[in-house]
Amino acid sequence: MAKFIVRRFILLLITMILVSIAVFMITEASPGNVAKNVLGAFITPEQEKSFLAQMGLDKPAYVRYIYWLVGSDWLADDKVGMKLRRVTTEDGFVEWWAVRSDGALVRWKLEGDDLIAVARLPSLGVATEYTNNGRWQTQEDGTSFFWGVDTANHVVKWEKGADTEVWNFVIGTGWMKASGGPVQYIPLKKGFIRGDPGVSLRTGRPVSKTIFTRLRNSVVLAGIAFVLVMPVALLLGMIAGLKEGSLQDRFLSIGGMIFSVIPEFATGIFLILIMAVWLQIVPGATVFGESAPWQRPDMLVLPVLTLTLIELGYILRITRASMVEVMKSPYIRTAQLKGLPYWRIIFKHAVRNALMAPITVIMLHVNWLMGGIVIVEVVFGYPGLGKYLLDSAMFKDINGLEAGAMILVLLAVGTQLVADIIYTFLNPRIRYT
Amino acid sequence: MKGSKDIHPRIVELFDQLQDGRLSRREFIRYAALLGLSAAAASQMIGLPWPKSLSAADIRRGGVIRVATSVQKVTHPAQFSWVEPTNILRQVAEYLTYTDKNNITHPYLLENWKASDDLKTWILNLRKGIKFNNGDEFTADDVFFTIKQWLNKDVGSSILGMMGAYLDPNGIEKSDAHQITLHLKKPEIAVPEHLFHYPAMILNHRTFEGDFIKAPHGTGPYTLDVYKESERAVLKRRSDYWQKGADGKPLPYMDGMEFFDMGDEMSPRIAALRAGEIDMIDLATTGGTAAFQALKDYRGVQVKPIGTAQARVMRMRVDLKPWDDNRVRMALKLCQHREKILGLAYFGQGLLAHDFHVAPVHPEYCDKQIPEYNPQKAKQLLKEAGYPNGLRVNLALGSEWTDVVRYGEILKQDAAPAGFNVVLKTMPTSQYWEKWTEVDLGVTPWTHRPLGTMVLNLAYVNDADGNPVAWNETNWADPEFSRLLNEANGTLDVDERRKIFCQLEQIQWERGSIGIAWWQNNWQIVTRRVQDSQPHPTGYMLFNQTWLSEG
Repeated sequence: MAKFIVRRFILLLITMILVSIAVFMITEASPGNVAKNVLGAFITPEQEKSFLAQMGLDKPAYVRYIYWLVGSDWLADDKVGMKLRRVTTEDGFVEWWAVRSDGALVRWKLEGDDLIAVARLPSLGVATEYTNNGRWQTQEDGTSFFWGVDTANHVVKWEKGADTEVWNFVIGTGWMKASGGPVQYIPLKKGFIRGDPGVSLRTGRPVSKTIFTRLRNSVVLAGIAFVLVMPVALLLGMIAGLKEGSLQDRFLSIGGMIFSVIPEFATGIFLILIMAVWLQIVPGATVFGESAPWQRPDMLVLPVLTLTLIELGYILRITRASMVEVMKSPYIRTAQLKGLPYWRIIFKHAVRNALMAPITVIMLHVNWLMGGIVIVEVVFGYPGLGKYLLDSAMFKDINGLEAGAMILVLLAVGTQLVADIIYTFLNPRIRYT
Repeated sequence: MKGSKDIHPRIVELFDQLQDGRLSRREFIRYAALLGLSAAAASQMIGLPWPKSLSAADIRRGGVIRVATSVQKVTHPAQFSWVEPTNILRQVAEYLTYTDKNNITHPYLLENWKASDDLKTWILNLRKGIKFNNGDEFTADDVFFTIKQWLNKDVGSSILGMMGAYLDPNGIEKSDAHQITLHLKKPEIAVPEHLFHYPAMILNHRTFEGDFIKAPHGTGPYTLDVYKESERAVLKRRSDYWQKGADGKPLPYMDGMEFFDMGDEMSPRIAALRAGEIDMIDLATTGGTAAFQALKDYRGVQVKPIGTAQARVMRMRVDLKPWDDNRVRMALKLCQHREKILGLAYFGQGLLAHDFHVAPVHPEYCDKQIPEYNPQKAKQLLKEAGYPNGLRVNLALGSEWTDVVRYGEILKQDAAPAGFNVVLKTMPTSQYWEKWTEVDLGVTPWTHRPLGTMVLNLAYVNDADGNPVAWNETNWADPEFSRLLNEANGTLDVDERRKIFCQLEQIQWERGSIGIAWWQNNWQIVTRRVQDSQPHPTGYMLFNQTWLSEG
């Protein structure tokens, strides 16, 4: 068993790498312009270029993939010549600083032609500023450059003496002419395998801050639906399957069929119209505040009900079919001929075998419930993982998409593992080596 | 009246026009306000009572309004490209002026403004005693700093495209602690309107470092408590706001405002509003037709319409065949059955339009007869242009704008008798914006602007080098039109301006590059408990005076 689990784990890692490459390539190939998605249709070419450069999107695809996977700070360390450190401020903003030899944290900004360093000693929170022109390095053609950390979490190559002239406004001094400015950006991140999925291009927030909230919301929604559906669906499916063609079988099969064929957006809208608009029992949309989703349990009722109806019919029919098949098999007839009590035959012999198919389906559905319930989430305005993935895809927000995809891979492989383990309990003949 | 020292000489002129009956009262207030006379003073001059707010006893303090909107990524306010984030942050930071729902612009953070006779020097006098929510005093340094930010190329503000044409960074002068003088390169009348352009929020020069969310210090009535992109934003009332309510205590009346991001779908937002889970839907970008249809007869909801100069513009590239021939353009314009289009595409919620980009809500609008649907004449014109057997054209439409698509469908049907075979090319809206200036025939949504000159300057002229300006999507420029428009830009006398506009409108109708079938209404949709909220043509939420009744 241990060997089996280790093998599965390695398989999981390989799957994740392959999926991440696939997602990256698909996003790369799809049309659309991130800068326009984020900044609107009316940006100037200069704004677009500056946005792409600051986000690091002007680099070749493989470089961006490597940055995403293993981070960019190790590369930037060399450029700056100092260690870089990520800190989280009291207000929850993530900031990158270079670490000076005395332990102080430093960042730089350009005011006119002067390089200003902002230093913060860990002991006292206040930042001090001083001119730091000594760091300029002169090149052969007479221009100087400097690699440093700016105030917006990039490592930046600043140049001066170059041909491009820009006017910068310096507070307290006025307009100062500078020759040059930032020419190259490396957005700082730690990389996915070091636990940093990066910053969402769409929202500008770290993906990790949003995605776990979204995941939790989806887990709550799907979890409640799951807990409600499974016992009921399995029980009803078995009742229906025990006597094929009986009245209760017909009733349950047709009922299950009706609910499973109506698409969830239709069910959702009908439920909203009936329960929220007409009867006004529960709200028809989810508006969550601080302590979502527990703040207003009544808002969960309709989304859960919609999911439940769809799932119920589906699982019920699978269980029924499986049960019918088992009840026809020779060993059940043998057991009956042996004169075993009816309930003993059902629970001891039939059910265990009949559950194999439903368990497989259920475990596959866990994954569907996490990412695939996007329609239910959109209909009810529910802030879940599916909707997050949808929005990320619409905006070509690669960091958001990758993180969501990785979570889904993890879930898919994880639930499959759980299913495999459950099989061994249902059928002792199954052994994994 | 004559000889009063602080009054702009043109106001006297305007007043004479008013007394001669050549100017309506509303127009007088608008233009007097434009020249720095407060709306209250202007009202006094013409003997109108200045509308007073409700008596203090009626107004209830407290409560939190809940708004469904999209909580977008925000860094530098000057870089805003969508209205929704400004509707959240305009409660925190404020503008120098404000343009009300009647398109009249008033001083706001300004005490008043004065324009020189040649309209090239504008003196902005700042209101004294205003404090930022971090305790800093609001002074000319903040205005100086903020305007420089707008004009800074590296910031990349859309204001640069607007004000950059007449103002250089070195044309801003700090005259004293509470006065800024703008020295313009050429006369401009729309300076106060531009100061209310949505990215023009005044920033605190001491603390602003490029990201407003990190230092949310504005002069507005609320402070920013939570801003979580794509989730929600929470604003809390501040106690020392500079405006006083009807009860003599500082505004605002409400304790706070909450904004929820419920995604792009309209139906959950409508359901939430019906259930009273939210009080308002921000319709600034999405448009309100779906919400209007769903909620117009719903008891618990107030639907407040407002007429605008917002339009779906059928635009034809005059440098591409077959639209380089004015007869073809005129033929297609004549194929618009305007009553039918307004009725079917926009449920009759608006005004019929002529094929020029000046709306009846504009002060300088010159009334013209709406053209009839005339397929026979269109057919004749097509024949003269060399298409006796008809013409096949592709019409580019953004599929998410349902009214645009319906407009296209009606046009296709009504243009068929004239010989046009209009092929509808629908595409995702984002894709339309990728090539909106490039397609030869398409329908582009244009937003409302308070003055008639503003859109004409943006879309129907060439720049100094003779190339079409950035938003001139049809590449149409006409020497006579440009000359007249330039004249109108420097003419304050409404009557004179209207005379010029009569000619401008005639030229654009006769040989222009666009068809406009209707002007759209906008709506503000709020629940019953929201009181004293005004709809605004551009969907701005001006909610200082808004209060919530019980329940």
